[in-house]
Amino acid sequence: MHHSKTLARLALATALVGSAGSAAFSADISFLRFFGDCQTEYGTVTDVAAANGECGIITVLTNKFNAENTIGAKVVTQTVDWGAYYDQLTATYSTGNIPDVAVMHSSVLPNFSDRDLLTPLGDAFAAAGIDTADFVPAALKNATTKDTLYALPYDLHALLFHVNTDLMKEAGFVNDDGTVRLPTSPEEMLSMGREFKEKTGKYFIAAESQSSEGMMVRLWQSFMWQQGVDVLAADGKTASINTPEGQKAADLIKALYDEGLANTALDYPGAEQAFLNGEAGILINGTWVVDSYNAQAASGEATLKNYQVANVPPIFGASKVWADSHMWVMPKDESRTPEEAEAAMAFMKFLNDNNFQWARTGHLSVRQSVIDSPEFAALPHRGEYSATAENATALPAVQNQRAIFAAMYSDFNAMWLTGTSSADALSAMQDSVDQILRRNR
Amino acid sequence: MSSAFRTGTGRATDWILLGATVVFSILWLLPIIWVVAMSLKPNAELMRSTAGFLPVPFTFDNYIGITKLATVPRWLMHSFVVAASMTAMVLIVSSLAGYAFARLDFPFKRTLFLLTLAGLMVPEQAVFIPLFTMFADWGMHNTHAALVMPRVAVPIGVFLMTQFFRAVPRELEEAAELDHASHFTIFRRIMLPLSVPALTTLGLFTFIFAWNDFLWPLVSATRADMFTVTVGLASIQGNFAFSEGLGSVMASAVFASLPIVILFLIFQRFIVAGVALGTGK
Repeated sequence: MHHSKTLARLALATALVGSAGSAAFSADISFLRFFGDCQTEYGTVTDVAAANGECGIITVLTNKFNAENTIGAKVVTQTVDWGAYYDQLTATYSTGNIPDVAVMHSSVLPNFSDRDLLTPLGDAFAAAGIDTADFVPAALKNATTKDTLYALPYDLHALLFHVNTDLMKEAGFVNDDGTVRLPTSPEEMLSMGREFKEKTGKYFIAAESQSSEGMMVRLWQSFMWQQGVDVLAADGKTASINTPEGQKAADLIKALYDEGLANTALDYPGAEQAFLNGEAGILINGTWVVDSYNAQAASGEATLKNYQVANVPPIFGASKVWADSHMWVMPKDESRTPEEAEAAMAFMKFLNDNNFQWARTGHLSVRQSVIDSPEFAALPHRGEYSATAENATALPAVQNQRAIFAAMYSDFNAMWLTGTSSADALSAMQDSVDQILRRNR
Repeated sequence: MSSAFRTGTGRATDWILLGATVVFSILWLLPIIWVVAMSLKPNAELMRSTAGFLPVPFTFDNYIGITKLATVPRWLMHSFVVAASMTAMVLIVSSLAGYAFARLDFPFKRTLFLLTLAGLMVPEQAVFIPLFTMFADWGMHNTHAALVMPRVAVPIGVFLMTQFFRAVPRELEEAAELDHASHFTIFRRIMLPLSVPALTTLGLFTFIFAWNDFLWPLVSATRADMFTVTVGLASIQGNFAFSEGLGSVMASAVFASLPIVILFLIFQRFIVAGVALGTGK
């Protein structure tokens, strides 16, 4: 097995190096992704500046590559519903139409790499001129399992505090320079929440609290990292959930709900509506909505007028925050020709070269050179949360992350949905996650 | 006096029943009205608020987006081919098996019938992985056959037709038997024409099921050019579509439902009869 892996890497690298500068050829690159289908809006557009949103930008980037590449390659895109994406990607290994390039979350990567379903890309990146040293550490770690690079990281998407500046000002939480004051300890978070509610009559926090997004589990995980605790050990064998640190973080989140500082009744769209309609001071959500909220605030149609973004504050000490990555992988396919592999790698390099465009979605760039660029700093609100790229904490490369996450949020949400004590919730989470980890071994 | 009183009571009961039916109908219809209203609103507006049963502000953009997609007619065609073939095959298999169980004597008939009924208790998910692997081994995924074949042997269809044939008076067959008609002739010339209402009901239910099917087509048809309309419309939705593209999601739901709604309006008499048949009335 080891020999065949090495041979496969050598074959790919040799093919790429050997064909560098070769004559044009014709190769279709099958491209599997979520993010939706924007053909009706951007079907023929090649000006990336004209595109907006995840769907628009990736569609136009694809069009641009098809129009401008000199090797005769053509990307054939197939979009899949986000919720069903990994089921369908897995299915392609049996149905025979394995994509050449596919999108993948870093949290899912070990499920595929540990089963030898992905092509290692380190040598191929070097041959294609993709500088992996430019990737921020969390992103590079996200793309690597067992010391092997399997993916081109494309963004870091992390939790943020989305802030209604007007409401925070009403509560007296805006500094003279216009920045918002955020809590620096659990006690301060609760006292600020009480003061906010008293002065504005609104909820201090809005967050998805009911459905499968598990937004508060992501916040709890961030609080655990802030206390120096990895919820999942790097070796994937143990979980530190029912611990004193876990208890402290869970108690804070439960208190926000118990004291009426956060609304228990909000699902994901409900939390967004509450924030846009000026019913909460802070919305806990990810990087992916920054441009959307910015547009809503600028439209004049929403009650939210003055929108700011902030890094998740170091409430428990260190500046750490939950983050995941969108990445591009090359699923392993014995029938892929060297020409097809080269074309796929050319497309990956093109995507990497245009990483700034993807950062326009609101996601953080994974390339330090892009983060440091003036054009990145000029994007709306990016300067307000640029530190998140450094604070972003990579999930360990453990199989079944999604199952582990699902097991955690159902028990965690019970704290405010059914009144379960934090001790009972953490104990149940620990049991459920231990059970999954035992299956992983 | 007594008769007039009874008539008055009867009328009152009718009015109460009618009123209750109207109230429940409205309650059932409200979510559908809400879906249609949202499908006619701009996505940016729905991100701020989903409240209201009136499409104000109004837009057709969500429907225009769907109809502009070049792949939609192909997805509709696949759905139709799959639903129509599945319906035809289910009707053939269920009516033949139903007639055999109802009228023919053969070894282990009772055991086989019980085994067929046991199929009702096996959830689809329990056989999903073996089924998927089997079709993968045969290299049949991304074909119409793979989308249709696993759904052809339907226990509820066999049960429905067995019950129907059992209720047909024996005398009708005995006359044919006197003329030395074979079992198949009796089935084809006598029983089949009699079973048109049951077959129509079973056919409609099968067609609706096939049209709405999502899970199996999702994993079996992995190429976009083989998607059915349900899988295809889901594939064009962006991440967080339920908040950022809710109008488009609702328009997709209405669009995909339209053929079935039309079918229901045309054949509702048979569907109601089928429900009654299914409850053993």
